[in-house]
Order: sequence, then C-alpha cells, then structure tokens
Amino acid sequence: MTPPRRHLAALLLTLLTGAAAQAQQPTPRTLIFLDPAHGGPDPGAHLPNNLLEKDLTLAFATRLRAQLSAAGFAIISTHDTDPAVPFPTDQRAEIANHAHPFACLILHATSSGSGVHIITSSLAPNELDDPHASIPWNTAQSASVPQSLALANEIGLSLEHAKLPVILGRASLRPLDNLVCPAVAIEIAPLTPTDAGATPVSDANYQQTVAKAIVAALTSWRTHTLAAAGVSR
Amino acid sequence: MIPRYQRILFWSLVGAILLMVAFLLRGCEQAHKRLGAPTSDTPIAAPTSASTEDITLYLANDADASITPSTESISLPQEPAIRARALLDHLLAAYALPSSAHPLQAGPAVDDVFLLTDPQPAPGEQPGQLAVINLRGAFVNNHPSGIQVESLTVQSIIGTLHAALPQITSIRFLVDGQPHDTLAGHADLLHTYPATDTAAKPMPPTEP
Repeated sequence: MTPPRRHLAALLLTLLTGAAAQAQQPTPRTLIFLDPAHGGPDPGAHLPNNLLEKDLTLAFATRLRAQLSAAGFAIISTHDTDPAVPFPTDQRAEIANHAHPFACLILHATSSGSGVHIITSSLAPNELDDPHASIPWNTAQSASVPQSLALANEIGLSLEHAKLPVILGRASLRPLDNLVCPAVAIEIAPLTPTDAGATPVSDANYQQTVAKAIVAALTSWRTHTLAAAGVSR
Repeated sequence: MIPRYQRILFWSLVGAILLMVAFLLRGCEQAHKRLGAPTSDTPIAAPTSASTEDITLYLANDADASITPSTESISLPQEPAIRARALLDHLLAAYALPSSAHPLQAGPAVDDVFLLTDPQPAPGEQPGQLAVINLRGAFVNNHPSGIQVESLTVQSIIGTLHAALPQITSIRFLVDGQPHDTLAGHADLLHTYPATDTAAKPMPPTEP
C-alpha cells in the first residue's frame, strides 16, 4: 500500500472502531428516586370530590414511572401501592441516600394555588470542602442545593414549554431537607385559567402533560450532566 | 244564611292571615340573606382610645406565591410578648376576610407567644430573642394542606414578627403547647426558623 492509501485506511479503521465503540456504549441508566408523598393512615390533603392526596400522588407516580422507564431511566420508589404502614419521612430519605440517585422527586398534590409548584429546600447552600466530612441529618440537602435549584429550573422550563403555569418556590420540608441528591418536591395544583373552568388535579390529561414535561426535563438534565462529567465522550 | 257582618269578618281575618304569612316569609328571607352574607365586615375592630402606630404586615398571596409588605395603622400593646401575639392575631384575622388572597378559616389562631433569650445565636452576633409561637390546634386542623400554602403562612408570620420586633432572631412553633411535625401535613414545624425579611416574589424559570 502506498503511504497515502495506508493513511486513508488507518483513518477509516479509526473512524469505524470509534463508531462501533460508540454504538456499543449505551446511555448509562441513570437512577431516579420517586417518593409519592403520604400513604397508609396519612392521607395528606383532602381534595375536592372526596379525593385524597395520597391516592393522587400514587397515581401520578405510576404514570411518571412508566414514562421515565420508557425514556431509559431506572427508578427506585418508596412505594408502588398504598402501604398499610408507610415509611416515616426519615426512612424515605435513608432509602434515597443509600441508592445515590441521579435526582430525587417528591410528589405532592394540593387544592390551593394554581399550576405546578416546584419546591426546593430553603436551606442555605453549603459547599463541602472535605467529601468525607460528616453531614448533619437535618441539613443534609444544603450541599446539593445549587444542583437542586438547577434541576428545579430545568423542570420549570420544560413545564413552561408545555404551556403549564409554574411557580418555583423554596420551603423547609421533610424529607427534602434530609436528601443528599439533587432534589425537588413537585406539587400539582388545579389549573385555573381565567377564560375556562378549572382543571382538577385528578385530570388524566393534565397529569400526563406534567409527567411528559418532567421526563423531558430529566432527559435534558441527564444530557447536560453527563456531558459535563465527560461520560458521553 | 250567613249574616253579612260575619262574612265581612271572615274575609277580613283571611286577609289578615295572608298579610301575616307574607310578612313572615319576607322576614325569613331577610334573615337568611343576613346570615348567609360573607362576613366582609369581620373582624370588627374594637373601639379604642389608644394611639395607633404604623406596622408592616407581610401578606401572602396563593396565586403567585408572593409575600408582600403592607403597612397598616393599628393600636398594639407595648409589652413585647403581648404585642407579638396581638400582631399575629391581627395578621391571621386578615386572612379570614373574604377578599384575602391567602384564605384561612376565621377563629383564634395563636394561644401565646413566648420570648426567650436565643440559646443559639449566630456566630459572632449578640444573642437575640427566640420567639416560641404556640398555635391553637383548631387553627392547625383547619389550615389548608399543601407545601406552598403552608409555607406561605409560616413565612408571613416570620416576616411580620421580624419587621415589628427586630430583637427576635429566631422563631419556633408549638401546637397546643407541644412540638408538632408539620403545619397541615407539609411545612416543617420542628425547624427553628431564622427571623428574616421574608418579602418575596418567585422568579420564573430562566433559560440557561
């Protein structure tokens, strides 16, 4: 082979090997922690039409779980059915913290306000200088607050693109304050447009739109995060 | 044959009965309207001869999750703990008005406010006061349930106390004298909140 042909063959081989390697390397299955809030003897909020918050959060979690699985996410959930004895909030946080998930979503529903409320912990951000330093349980989320705020913004943008009203807020809430992953609480409130009747939280289309927007946001968040970490290269 | 005067008497009595029935129905209707009307004029401020002063209430709005300072002129006692309680009573009574943007059920909400020396002052700062707010169980049981709505109540209380009594540096909550996990299932009441200016208007999400 003449030198130019040899170079061309080497380049082709390199490209083919690279393409094959990329095809064999699947997108890493990132783990999402889902916590449908309340359950068992704790019904949560009493919503119109005798609906209970615990039933709505569970129904929404099932819907979201299916869509997340379809998008290539692995899911860990605190419960998939209404438990007789639910995990206390501290134990829910322990489950999440042991699993080291990519993102933690705590699901709530309310009849107050309008649209979707994305809540981040109100703890002040606290960068850990020593990664092995012990973290106080009550302020465990403080080290992850910047990532949680970025995740909340990403989900908020995605909901806005889906033409849903969004409010980004902060609150002191358990188990949100005890999680060491990027974490947000998603509270679904009725849709109350000025020109039409209110859409209740239990509306299947409304829930589906919210779930789709959350999955789109997490997919985008995964792409950004993995790109920043150099995994996809 | 019925005499003429008896017929006149009979029809006069029938007429009187009909008039009385109409009068009673009208009275019932008016009473029903009065009882069913929104209590737009409650709570009625007691007449007072004490001098009034300008205070700032941090008012919550469920629609946009904002907390907005609003100045009012009211009469308050001077003793700090009683002043704090009267202020919170006034704030929470405002939320019971039909025009409230953060509607809460009417009724007494705060049992007591205790002011103690803050056992854990911020590093490098003089110890301020810890306000312990003892809420009534009835208020907590009737409070709307939700992260945002409960958090707004807590932030409204904190902002209003901070503005009126700046010596308060941190705030804790009790319910009927006991520690209580949450306000109505969500907002953490076991947390010690720093007393800060809580005026806020949430920003929309921004493009990265």
